[in-house]
This record gives sequence, structure tokens and C-alpha cells, in this order.
Amino acid sequence: MPYNLTAAVERQEDLGAGYHLLTLAAPEIAREIRAGQFVMIGLTDIDQMLIRRPFSVALVSPGPDGGEPASIGLLYKVIGRGTTLFSRLQPGDRLALLGPLGRGFWLPDPALEAGGGDETELLLVAGGIGNAIFPLLLQELGPRAARTTLFFGGRGRADLTLLDWFEAHAGRVVTATEDGSHGQRGFVTAPLAAHLDADPGRRRLVMACGPHAMLRAVAELCLARGVPCQVAMEETMACGFGVCLGCVVEKREPESDFDRFVRVCTEGPVFDAREIVL
Amino acid sequence: MSAGVKLEVAVGGGLTLRNPVLTASGTFGYGLEFEPYLDLNRLGGVVVKGISPRPRAGNPPPRLVETPSGMLNAIGLQNVGVDRFLEEKLPALRERGVATVVNVYGQCEEDLLHVVEKLAPESGVAAVELNLSCPNVKEGGLELGRSPRAIESITRDARAITRQPLWVKLTPNVSSIAETALAAEAGGADAVSLINTLVGMVIDVERRRPVLHRGSGGLSGPAIRPVAIAMVHQVYRAVKIPIVGMGGIVNARDVVEFLLAGARAVQVGTANFNDPGVAMRIVGDLAAWCAAHGIADVNELVGAVKGNQA
Ligand SMILES: Cc1cc2nc3c(=O)[nH]c(=O)nc-3n(C[C@H](O)[C@H](O)[C@H](O)COP(=O)(O)OP(=O)(O)OC[C@H]3O[C@@H](n4cnc5c(N)ncnc54)[C@H](O)[C@@H]3O)c2cc1C
Ligand SMILES: Cc1cc2nc3c(=O)[nH]c(=O)nc-3n(C[C@H](O)[C@H](O)[C@H](O)COP(=O)(O)O)c2cc1C
Ligand code: FES
Repeated sequence: MPYNLTAAVERQEDLGAGYHLLTLAAPEIAREIRAGQFVMIGLTDIDQMLIRRPFSVALVSPGPDGGEPASIGLLYKVIGRGTTLFSRLQPGDRLALLGPLGRGFWLPDPALEAGGGDETELLLVAGGIGNAIFPLLLQELGPRAARTTLFFGGRGRADLTLLDWFEAHAGRVVTATEDGSHGQRGFVTAPLAAHLDADPGRRRLVMACGPHAMLRAVAELCLARGVPCQVAMEETMACGFGVCLGCVVEKREPESDFDRFVRVCTEGPVFDAREIVL
Repeated sequence: MSAGVKLEVAVGGGLTLRNPVLTASGTFGYGLEFEPYLDLNRLGGVVVKGISPRPRAGNPPPRLVETPSGMLNAIGLQNVGVDRFLEEKLPALRERGVATVVNVYGQCEEDLLHVVEKLAPESGVAAVELNLSCPNVKEGGLELGRSPRAIESITRDARAITRQPLWVKLTPNVSSIAETALAAEAGGADAVSLINTLVGMVIDVERRRPVLHRGSGGLSGPAIRPVAIAMVHQVYRAVKIPIVGMGGIVNARDVVEFLLAGARAVQVGTANFNDPGVAMRIVGDLAAWCAAHGIADVNELVGAVKGNQA
């Protein structure tokens, strides 16, 4: 059940190029949030911000005494009015916070994983700020994180935020930049396709988060090869908990005419790529 | 300290609410979604999402955009339809005991009356609110709600098929809201509720396209509050039936403003998206405001604005 709270800012780190990491003291949410779920955050004065903004929880961290998770870290990019206001918050300032919200990633049924050798290969695909969804997944995966590959794309090196962190926590990181400033030049879908084609028989699961065009390309690649694929979607949200009906995407196979749309905030944000129209 | 303040209000047709704060249609789901955040029974009542004869899919996205102090929506009245509402939602609300106002939508007069008729024998319907004013559906409500003659005749027809208290929700997209309110009163409405959203549009200047898929949408939130206050004030001087006011309410101060303008009860809308617990907090704050201002009965505030009446 989501918590509706106010939370204090613990840290605001400027990562350069408009990217920030905001850490909030929110033990209830830190303990319960699962990778791929999100929170709605807003300023406490409604006159300054009528509509809260959705953010993935990038990381959870324990309190000063270690132990249970006590803080959540939000990795965000400044793009408009709301994120500009958030970027000015200082330690001690308070934010309104609602979460955990939505359906996160899900792992293959362990019963189907017959021993380490047959383990499903997890491939994570991030475009730009879409990487914000993956640190928590890697944290949750524990030792298995070391057997994942992250395909990480951006316009340039500056968009590959937390790259060092990912290199330390994922098994392997393959980068691609449009300007060629890091890794292969071009879109991240090229190395992903090459990887899928190199060993086509392998059981895999692709998990993707990033711009819509990237998600569509990743989903097409995977569907064409019969590789299961989960995509984390974005739509404009007003409430985040299923009542405004603003955040819908179209179902691929609606059961009826009035069943054409699903809510990203409630049925998603993570969907099986086969469920929805990308 | 606020325990002694009388908050009950009579809103016509024999309906008394435990306090004047309801939640607005389309901003509160079917009520049950808010149970993690507040106690439904502390509210004056809930108004559910507009119900149509058949389920509706709504418009393709984008359906929302934020605007200065407000938001624009073109949801397109996505809803479960009257049959599923009666099977799944109403029984649960009835069990909670919260005053449930059912907002009714139709693309034409027969549709609307069909829903009113289906609701008529049901217990647990505190009132029926006719939405004649949704600006979101191309073929829909706008025309109906703009014509005093159409309002009067459809209200009369609805009146003839139900004994449940009947509210008519008025659109602000008219030249004289006093006239449309009078038409509802003449047709036999027990109360009028106002205002629905104002027609608005936002254009993405880079793409040279409206941001919303549908083009225009309905504007809500604090941006429309002064418009709503002026309209409630106007209608208060025109009709005798109770007024349920809404438009941009975010706190108890705003509720008092609506009451002073002439509303007997209010609905909290867009603010529910910001904070799902806000409606219950407003109830508590309203009682505290009254106590702090020496108001023993909230009804003392209704229409009590002083001064120039233009
Ligand atoms: C489930 C979910 C999780 C998200 N997680 C993160 C995250 O971890 N980190 C992060 O940086 N961002 C994330 N976002 C996007 C984030 O919510 C938006 O960037 C933010 O709301 C923009 O607010 P703003 O006021 O700064 O921009 P606005 O002033 O509202 O908009 C500025 C520009 O950005 C565009 N825009 C606004 N909202 C979005 C959106 N949701 N998606 C794409 N473009 C948008 C607008 O069309 C406009 O052109 C997430 C979105 C969703 C739906
Ligand atoms: C997302 C959204 C959906 C709405 N849906 C309905 C509806 O189904 N029927 C209706 O009569 N009014 C609907 N409304 C209008 C509200 O009930 C209310 O009249 C209006 O939003 C003004 O109040 P506010 O500024 O407090 O939101 C909707 C408003 C919003 C923002
Ligand atoms: S954001 Fe309101 S329903 Fe999804």
C-alpha cells in the first residue's frame, strides 16, 4: 500500500550536464519499493506545484547505523519547471512524496531456471536518463547482478550518468553514443542486436527503459527474435495512483472496444512488450 | 476546539450531508481507490466518475497537460459503464455508508435518461448529478448544457423517472450561467453544481500541434477558481435551490470562499491528484477555521459575502 508522506532531503548531488541525484529520508518506501516502481514527488506548497512529478527510485540506502534501507535516491534530469524547482532543494527541505507506486520488473520464474547453467541471461537496456531505473534492479539481483549486461546509450558521454557505478555493479556494460564520445558510435540497439544474434539459442530476458523511440526499437528487435522483453513506459501523469486516467497507453490486443487503454501508473510502468502498442 | 461546530448542510431533495465537503466527479475514481489515504466516512460525500450506459474507452493519449496553476484534460469519459458500476462499485460504496453522488453522462438525451432509470431503484445513491457539460467528447454534452431549453426539458424528463435527489452540473462555457441555472431549477432540479471545466488548449510551438491528442480539453485547478466564485455568486442571486460549488479548491480557506459566494456544499477536484488525503484534511481545517472565527454553524457562511454585488 502506498505511503502519502512528507520527506526531508538528505542530499542533492549535481552530477553535471543537468543530471542530479536527490536523496530523501523515506524508510517506509525504501523498505518496500521494488525495482521499476516509482514515486510521485511534489513541493509541499500546492500553490507552487499543482501536479506532482513521477520518478523511478534509482537506489535505496541504509540509514547511518546501517541495516534496513532508510533513504531513496532519485536520479533525474532537469528538463522543465518541476525538475528545475527540485534541483534547487537543499538538505533539510521537505518534499511531498507518494509511493511505492505501479508494477515493477519481474524475474523469470525460478522454477524454470534449472541450475546456474540454464539461468536466463538478463540484458538491461538504458537510454539516457532511462538508466535511473536500473541501479535498484541491480541492488535487488544481488550476486546475479554480476551476470547481467547493461547496454547503455546516450547522445554523448555526459548522458552516461553513474557509468562508474554501473561498471562496478553490472557484469558488463556496453555503451553506445550518438556522437561517438564513448563506446560504439550510434544507437544502443546495434550492439544489443549483435549480442542477441551471436548466440540465438540462449534463454534471455531484456529489460528496457529510455526514450519512446528506443523502447520501440528494442521491442521490435526482441519480438522479431522471440526474446521476452519488458519495457518501462512514460506518460504524463497527474495522480500516479490510477484515478485521473491521464497516463494511458494502448493495448496491443484489447478484449473489447472499451478496453483499448491501460494505465501506465497502475498496470505499468513496466509492461511486457507484447501487451502494448509502442 | 472545533468539535462544537455544526457542519451538516441540507442540499435539497431531503438530502443532508454530514459536512459540506464532497469530492468532484472524475477526480476521485469510484472513491474506493482513496481508502488507503483517508476515511471516506469523514467526507460530506463522494461524486463518482461520470457513468455512461455502456463502458467507454476514452481518448488516445496525451490526455493531460499542466498549465499555469491548473491542468488541461481530455480523458474522454473513460468509465466502466452503468452495469458494472451497479454490480461492483455501488455495493462497496453502500457498505461504507458514504454519501454517494452518481455523476451521469450520456452522448444523447436517451443515453442519459437510460442511466438515470437504471439508478432509480438502487439504494445508496445520495443524489444523481447530470453532467450536461463535459467539453471533452466531440459529439457530447457541451451543446446540451449550453441550451437553457434543453436543460429544462432533460431535467424534467429525469425528474419524472427518479425520486432520487437530482443535481444538474453546469458548464461555465456559456454566456449566462444564471440562465442555465434557472432552467435547471424550472425543470425540477434539487440543486445545481458548478462549475465544470473551461474549454482550453495548449499548443506545442515546436511541433505546431496541440499538446493533447484531442486538441482542446477541460481546464481545472486553482486557475479557474475566481471564475467559479463569480459564477456561484451570480447563480446564488438567481435561483432558490442549493448550490454545490467547485473549481480550484485546495484548502479550507477556498471552501469558505465558495460558501460566502453562495454555495451550500463544495466539491474538491484536481487537488485530489496532488494529495489523495487532501479532502479529509480540508474537512478538519474547515471546522477549525469556523471555531477560530466564532462560527457555530457552517450555514451562517452561505451567501454571507458583503459589499458590492456586481
Ligand atoms: C513512471 C515514470 C518514471 C520516471 N522516472 C524518471 C527518473 O527516474 N528520472 C527522470 O529524470 N525522469 C523520470 N521521469 C520523467 C519525469 O517525470 C519528467 O521528466 C518530469 O515530470 C518533468 O517535469 P518538469 O516539470 O521538469 O517538466 P515539464 O515542465 O513538465 O516539461 C518539460 C518538457 O518535458 C516534457 N515532459 C514532461 N513530462 C515528461 C515525461 N513524463 N516524459 C517525457 N517527457 C516529459 C514535456 O512535454 C516538456 O516538453 C519518469 C516518468 C515516469 C512516467
Ligand atoms: C481529469 C478530470 C476528469 C473529470 N471528469 C469529469 C466527469 O467525468 N464528469 C464531470 O461531471 N466532471 C468531470 N470533471 C470536472 C470536475 O468534476 C470539476 O468540475 C472541475 O475539475 C473543477 O474542479 P477542480 O478545479 O477542483 O478540479 C473532471 C475533471 C478532471 C480534472
Ligand atoms: S497518473 Fe492518474 S491514472 Fe495514471
